[in-house]
Amino acid sequence: MSTVTAPAPARPAAKTPHLSFAHLLRSEWIKFWTVRSATWSLSIFFVVTVALIVLISLAIVSSGPNDGPPGPDDALAPYNVAAQLGQVALVVLAALAITGEYTTGMIRSSLTAAPRRTPVLWAKFLVLTAVFFVIAIVANALGVLLQQLFFSDDLKLDLGDPQILRALFGTALYTTTIALLSFALGALVRHSAAAIASVLGALLVLPLLFQIPWKPLQEMQPFLPGVAGSTITQTDAQVVAGWDQFPDGVAHLTAWQGYAVLLGYLVVILVAAIVRLKKSDA
Amino acid sequence: MIEAQGLTKRYGEKTAVDGISFTVQPGKVTGFLGPNGAGKSTTMRMIMGLDRPTAGKVTVNGAAYASFHSPLTEVGALLEAKAVHTGRSARNHLRALAATHGIPDARVDEVIEMTGLTAVAKRRVGGFSLGMGQRLGIASALLGDPRTLILDEPVNGLDPEGVLWVRNLVKYLASEGRTVFLSSHLMTEMALTADHLIVIGRGHIIADGPVDEIIARGTKATVRVRSPHADQLAAALVGPEVTVTSKEPGLLEVFGATAEQIGDAAAAARLTLHELTPISGSLEEAYMSLTADEVEYRSDTPIPTNAAVTEEVAR
Repeated sequence: MSTVTAPAPARPAAKTPHLSFAHLLRSEWIKFWTVRSATWSLSIFFVVTVALIVLISLAIVSSGPNDGPPGPDDALAPYNVAAQLGQVALVVLAALAITGEYTTGMIRSSLTAAPRRTPVLWAKFLVLTAVFFVIAIVANALGVLLQQLFFSDDLKLDLGDPQILRALFGTALYTTTIALLSFALGALVRHSAAAIASVLGALLVLPLLFQIPWKPLQEMQPFLPGVAGSTITQTDAQVVAGWDQFPDGVAHLTAWQGYAVLLGYLVVILVAAIVRLKKSDA
Repeated sequence: MIEAQGLTKRYGEKTAVDGISFTVQPGKVTGFLGPNGAGKSTTMRMIMGLDRPTAGKVTVNGAAYASFHSPLTEVGALLEAKAVHTGRSARNHLRALAATHGIPDARVDEVIEMTGLTAVAKRRVGGFSLGMGQRLGIASALLGDPRTLILDEPVNGLDPEGVLWVRNLVKYLASEGRTVFLSSHLMTEMALTADHLIVIGRGHIIADGPVDEIIARGTKATVRVRSPHADQLAAALVGPEVTVTSKEPGLLEVFGATAEQIGDAAAAARLTLHELTPISGSLEEAYMSLTADEVEYRSDTPIPTNAAVTEEVAR
């Protein structure tokens, strides 16, 4: 809060009720934690992520070295798989955080309290971003801890390697951004099932569809939100190796370029959602 | 003070509110009366900035609602019951709303107690009855201790004790100099609660004035007269401003003349009177006559009055 320059009024300014963005953040924080879907979804995300990292590490170690000793790629593989499955819980939670307001009518209470509307969306966005990123970091960190505790003989992660660190950090970033995409889509379409189905469809179904050997489809494949965004969860060596799987003539995106494409989708949908929020009746 | 000027709302082809202008003064309870679908809720949503007016404007204390530094302390609104997330408890719902303005939890507990929700405050709102939902809506409206209150159908779903409570609450709040604007389709409720009435039908303002004046305007003075010489008396009374109807021999209903005028006329014509009863109009009659042409959803078969009222109360 800004410094009060005028002499203290009869009542201190800080005590006088007024609307502010800091207050909205506090409100959205309360809203987030006071519905049961929050703790449920976060718990599921956390347990699934940590459990999958450990189980897949175990599976890799147990299957033995098929073609040479396990390298850093094998050590990172469990995080990618865990992120793909665990993110479903966050996608659902993120969509519900906004569509729940529309389906219950809560949005009218929210917009009555903050009639300029967009700050409500931003406050919610920031709360979700913080919560998702923190829980994704913590879940993956715990995964690293357990993996290195049990399997460090076969699956050694060199945490001093910036490439490895970026891949791990990128996994949390990717998971968070995908969930925020679901939030933005929920804010735009205002319908839980539609938002969740669209995001999961874009992540899980579209990449299959775009594998059809037809040039225009194949050329777009690297720009699909999941394909582009997940490059940030890989080391540069993995990203380059991935390029070979695309047919000739298809664009090659580096890790950060890929992530920027995913951010692009988020920005476009968010802007559309803000325009709708501003223009339409609540 | 709430001021609307040429306020209009169209949804596609349909005009919900058609260029209405009105002023709601502080210090008294202003009723917003009209049949269902007349445009009451739309008007109230436009005041709160939830619906964008197609044309015209509406201000509260001289400014648009969205421009306030502290909206909840300026205007408290109950717009529809259960504008609440069903998965949240009543107390947490109020805490989240209060937090937007930095209103302390102590005030949350205060409005919970004021509205009689203490016993259910920790329960999830999804299981609330209509009446409890209304009380929660009123609690949210009171949260910021606002100078202006806008209540859309506040007594809907409340038990008789709750209705009485709302009636006393709004009168008390108005007596403190606040602006109180409440809507209803129940004229009897308005007659008991409001000081001033704005009557709306099909998006038009039909009447705007003190409750007594509206009743007087909407009801013609009727006098019931019983006389063995009814026919002669009727002939003596009828004039350009006086009409006489008869439902049974010897019984007249006279519109447009006072009991004194009728008595004098009878005496002048040396006719005997057996009964001379002025019938004062009710707000209900006034409302019916005012909105007769403006009701949007009308049943083709007339419903007996009692049934109609019971149905409205149930709603």
